[in-house]
Order: sequence, then C-alpha cells, then structure tokens
Amino acid sequence: MRSLITIREGGPGHWALRVVATVVLAAVMLWIPTQGSNGMMTEATEALTLMSAAMALNLVLGYTGQISIGHSAFFGIGAYATGIGVSRWGWSPWLTLPLAFAVAFVVGVLVSFPASRIKGVYLALVTLALALVFPAFVTWRKLTWLTGGGPGLPNDDSVVNTTGFNIGRREGQMRRFEVFGWDPLGDLRSIDAKTPFYFWIAAGVAVIVYVVCRGIVKSRVGRSLVAIRDNETAAAVMGVNLVATKALIFGVSAGLCALPGSVTAIRIGSVSPGISSLTLIGAITFLIVMVIGGAGSLWGPVVGAVLYTFITARTGGWADDDSIPGVLRPLFSWAKTPPGTGIFAVALIVLMFVAPRGVVGVWRQQTPRIVRVVPRLVGVAAAAETAALAAVITTTEVDAEIADSAADSPDGRTDGEGGQIQPRENPLVIQPTSTESVGENQ
Amino acid sequence: MEKFLQFVFDGLSVGSVYSLLALGLVIIYRGTGHLNFAQGEMALFATYVVYQMGEWGLPIGLALVIGLAVGFAVGAVAEVTLIRPISKKSPFAVFIVTIGLFQLLNWMDGAIWGDQLLPNSGVGSNQKTFPTLFPSGNDDFISIFGAAWRLKYLGVLVLVLLITGALFLVFNKTRFGLAMRAVASNAESAKLVGIRTNTVLMVSWGLAASIGALGGVVFAGINGNVNLGLMFTVFIYGSAAATLGGFDSPGGAVIAGLAIGVIENLAAGYFQEWVGQELKLGVAFVVNLVVLMVKPSGLFGTAKVERV
Repeated sequence: MRSLITIREGGPGHWALRVVATVVLAAVMLWIPTQGSNGMMTEATEALTLMSAAMALNLVLGYTGQISIGHSAFFGIGAYATGIGVSRWGWSPWLTLPLAFAVAFVVGVLVSFPASRIKGVYLALVTLALALVFPAFVTWRKLTWLTGGGPGLPNDDSVVNTTGFNIGRREGQMRRFEVFGWDPLGDLRSIDAKTPFYFWIAAGVAVIVYVVCRGIVKSRVGRSLVAIRDNETAAAVMGVNLVATKALIFGVSAGLCALPGSVTAIRIGSVSPGISSLTLIGAITFLIVMVIGGAGSLWGPVVGAVLYTFITARTGGWADDDSIPGVLRPLFSWAKTPPGTGIFAVALIVLMFVAPRGVVGVWRQQTPRIVRVVPRLVGVAAAAETAALAAVITTTEVDAEIADSAADSPDGRTDGEGGQIQPRENPLVIQPTSTESVGENQ
Repeated sequence: MEKFLQFVFDGLSVGSVYSLLALGLVIIYRGTGHLNFAQGEMALFATYVVYQMGEWGLPIGLALVIGLAVGFAVGAVAEVTLIRPISKKSPFAVFIVTIGLFQLLNWMDGAIWGDQLLPNSGVGSNQKTFPTLFPSGNDDFISIFGAAWRLKYLGVLVLVLLITGALFLVFNKTRFGLAMRAVASNAESAKLVGIRTNTVLMVSWGLAASIGALGGVVFAGINGNVNLGLMFTVFIYGSAAATLGGFDSPGGAVIAGLAIGVIENLAAGYFQEWVGQELKLGVAFVVNLVVLMVKPSGLFGTAKVERV
C-alpha cells in the first residue's frame, strides 16, 4: 500500500500531527460549552459519561478478553455511592467520587474471583445475572433505609434534597472564569450554569479514565492483559499471575466505571433503579459502544460513544413520523419507537462480519494510504540503523564513525575481533521500501 | 403444609417456563456449542406474534401454532444467515452477534407493537388479557390438601412434561434425533458419514427457538400481559436452569428448571422478610455462580476434559 506522506514516529512530522490533533480536540471541547446550545452540552455530557463507562469496560473485555455484561451494576454502584453520600450524609459531591471508586473497586475484585474459574460465555452469564440483580438489590426492603427503595434518592429522610450540587439557582453563585472578557469554560454564572459545569465534570472524569486506561494498557500490566486475552495458559507459563492480574483489572475497571455513574447521579440530581444505564440496557449499551468504536483500542470507546450519542439523539424524535427527514421516512415511519437501538444492533452485527475491530480498526487500516507513521526503532535495531546511516553518510573514516555510534549505544553490536564493526542492513527499515518497489514493478 | 404445597405448585408452574427456555439453550448448545443470548428475545418476538393473532380474532390454539412457526423461522434464519458464517471467525464474534440479535429483536418488538404493556385494553387492544391455553376462570382449580392448583398453571406443567417426553423420543428414537446426536458429538465425523449437518443445525436452532416461543407464550399467559422486558429475567432463570442441569443434558435442564422455580418460590415465601419478591432473582444468580464455580458441568452434564 502506497501512502502519500511517510513520517517517522517521534520526528517533527509526527509531532506536528500530534499538535494538530490536540488543538482540534481542545477547540471542540472549548467550543461546546462556550458556543454550543444547552442541548448540545447535555448531549456532549452524555457522550462523555458513556465513553468513560465504555473505556472502563474495554479494560476488562477489549484488552483482557473477559466478557462482562454486568458493568451497569458498577455504574449503578457509583450512582448510588454519590446519591447516598450527598443526600443521606450531606457530603460534598466531590468526595463521593473516590467513595464510588473504592466501593466499586472492592466489588470488582470480588467478581474477579469467580472470573478466574469461569471462562468465556459462562462468565457472560454470571455478569448478565449481576446486571439484572443490581436494580432488584437496591430495591431490597432491608436496604430501603439506605437506598430509598424503588423511588430512589433523594427522599423525605434525606438531609439534602438533591444528589448533586446545589447550584445554579442564584445568580453569581459560581465563580466566573474570564480571560480577556471571554469565559473559556462557558457561562457558569447564569441560571443555566449547571449545564456547562456538569459538562466539565464529565469531561474531567473522561480524561481521568482515559489517562488511567492508557497508563495501564501501555505498561507491563497492559501487556500481560493482552497475553491473558490471547492465550491464558501461555500467559500463565510466561509468569503472569492470572488471579492477581484479573483481580486488579476487574477492580480498576469497576472503579472507573463507577465514576461516570457518579457523574450521572450528580447531573440528574437523583438516583433510582429506573435509570436505564443502571439496568441490563445500560450494560448492553456500553458493550455496543465499545465494540462499534473498536474493542481493544484506547480511542474505540471514545469514537463509539460520540457516534452512539449523536445518532440516538438525532433520531430520538423519530417515533413521530413527521420529524423523520423525507428521504428516510418510508424506511422508518412504521416504527413506533425511535430507531437508534435498531440501527446500532444492525451496525453491531454487520461490523462483526466486515470489521471486527470497529470504527477505529477501519481507520487504522485506511489512514496509512494518506499518512503512514513509521514506528520508532528500539534496542538492537536502533543501534544498527544508526550504524547503517553512518555508513551511508561518511565515505571516509567509516570505522571511526561507527565505533563512536556503537560506543554511544549499549546495544551496539561489535564483532569480537579488533573492535571492527559490520554495519548490517536493518530489515525493519529496508523491507517496506523493497516490497513497495516490487509491488510497483508488477 | 398447605402453604408449602402452594409454594411448590406455583414454583413448578413458573419453573416449567424456565425449563422450556433452558431446553432451547441446551438444544443449541449440544448442536453448535454456542450459548444463544437471543433465546429469550426470539421467544418474545413469537409471543408478540401470538398476541397479534389474538388481536385479529384467531383462537389461541391456531395463534400458538402460527407463533411457534414464526419462532422456528426466526431461529432457523438466524442460524443460516448469521450464526453459521460468523462461527467460523471466533466464539467472541458469535457472542457479539447474539447480543446484536438480542438488541435487534427487542427493538423490533418495540417498533412494531410499541413499548407499553399489552394487551392494553381500551387503548389499542381488543383482548383483556393475554390468551391462556388452559381454562383460567376463578373456579378453574383443583385443590390438593387445601392448596389450590389453578388449571392454567397445572396445564403448563403437564405441557412441559409432554414436550420433554416428545423431545426425548425424537432425540432417542428417530433418525433425525440420531443425526442430531451425531452432530453434537462430532460435527466433522457426522459430515463424513453423510449427515447433512447444515440442515441439522438449522432445524436445531428452529426447534430451540420455537420451544422458547412456547415458553414465552405460556409465561405471558401466566403474567396476563406481554412487554419488552418480559423475557429478561426468564432468560436468566432459564440459563441458570441450563447451567444447573448441565448444558448438554435436556432432561437435566427440565429438572433443574422446575427445581429453581420451586426453590425461588420457597425462598421468597418462607423468608419473606429477607428475600421477598425483590431478591428472587438472586436465587438464579447464586445458582449460576455456585454451579459454575464448583461443578461447571452441572448436575447431569458430561464433564468436559480440556486438552492444553
């Protein structure tokens, strides 16, 4: 495959690409709360919540290969931790976020122990049961004193009549962030101050979840997760502690999934078992978002959540036939409910056939046609490459140059005799160009 | 005693619905080794079809036959068009596709029939309650030691036992049953001796879906109505029954289904303060968990030996 531009990882081109991507992302994040409508801000907040939950699920399912349809329970634990903390105990909502993480972490670790014995779809069965038991559990009469039963929180016994922040009612209660007369965080002073404020909370949580996921995935633990997914026996033989790794990852995933749950409770201002994200519907939505975006990739859940929220919001009113755009009306006018769920169900099935790695997988496959980022060389290959370059550049004094570069890198290969160095062709560098030229000749 | 019998009777009635779902799961598992997460939703679709037939004035018997045929078609089509091609990829892909089917069927039910409880008499339904197969008046019960066993519940149990008996005969006494067992035991070899494995698998899925559909219709009859969430919990109970009985044992599935029905009713009845109606589902969860941890092959299943 030919690409228009080839850039080297870590080189100036790559950095330019990174800067552009970051600027675009930051611009979008600033544009939504400052310029966008309240409706758009709410949608974006939902997308951020959904992507946090899907990223958490991705750790367990995408990277470790442990099927869970029970993450709605962890989400619910987060929502209830905030609900109980704020409305029963009068805590600040900020304090309930660590509480949510901690409680869900413990439950996640507990779930991991059966998961180290139960494999594949059987684990799916157990977690599916967990998703169904959770809403029933919070309505349990022995827990009503804490959870508020079916109607949820806050109720008549609550010390605070909300599960979120008590703001936005009075003008000027929130501080105004201002830079040259412009509020980069959106209008936090008006009656509608809640909307941008909750947007930023959701964004903060999404960033935290992303950073933690990235940290785990790019680390030693992350590599052992993938090893477990690909072949559990082999991973164990290579020295991966299966029980400990699964316990850790289930705990972290559950804890992270509880954070968007907390955000939801803060945002809505009440919790009840009726919130759909707390039920099986929620767990399946997380799964669909993750798989459509791309399981086992960091950006998959992000893309999936944005697509999901955007499309379900745009088609949300389609139960009413008149709101369907003309061209699509014959396709959807028969349906009594909005088509969002159906569209994503079909997309999920089709995607499994044509692109099992999701939207991000397709993106990764197609973008090298335009920009190809050649990975940075490491270890032996890097040293050999330096040597090879040196050999090409200097026609005279070759030996000295190479000796220098070899001395700089600890991995430099030296032949034993007389300190003479044989510059070797690096297969990593040479191969792509050679295969490409073969392709052109044909 | 009276109370005890009452709980047992009620338990056996709902238990028989779980048995039907579990039977469907087991038939598919034996044939293909897959767990069909859309089993409950396939059944729900057929149940809605039966409701619709009732709306059009068809007697329940005929409506049921049509419903079962639709169920069979849904299962067979799903196997041929989706499951068979995707199962060449990976078990994970099959799982995702069954979840996709779950979501798609549930959405279709809502899109066609709306998301309210049906029949919704006065608003859009001619029927007052979901049609039952057996007499369901207030006086239609037999009393055993003072406990009332409603005919509509008793009928369900008898029906399930008859179906199980018929399946047993089909599995063990017919050529087709032999072919099914051959495919279940080794699909490759079965193909080599001339068994049309594709047909067998298609029929297995169809059969499983229509048995599930029967469960759905019966459960909607007990419930009095049908709604989008009807089969969620039933599926969980059904899967718990299949787990407890062993995923490759039809007889085990039926016994386990009945047992779970009785256990949950006894637990909810005798420990009303603690378990009550809310935590009934916990029974299914605990059964699933404990059986899979302690004896993954279930009570009647064959233990699987894994070669590393």
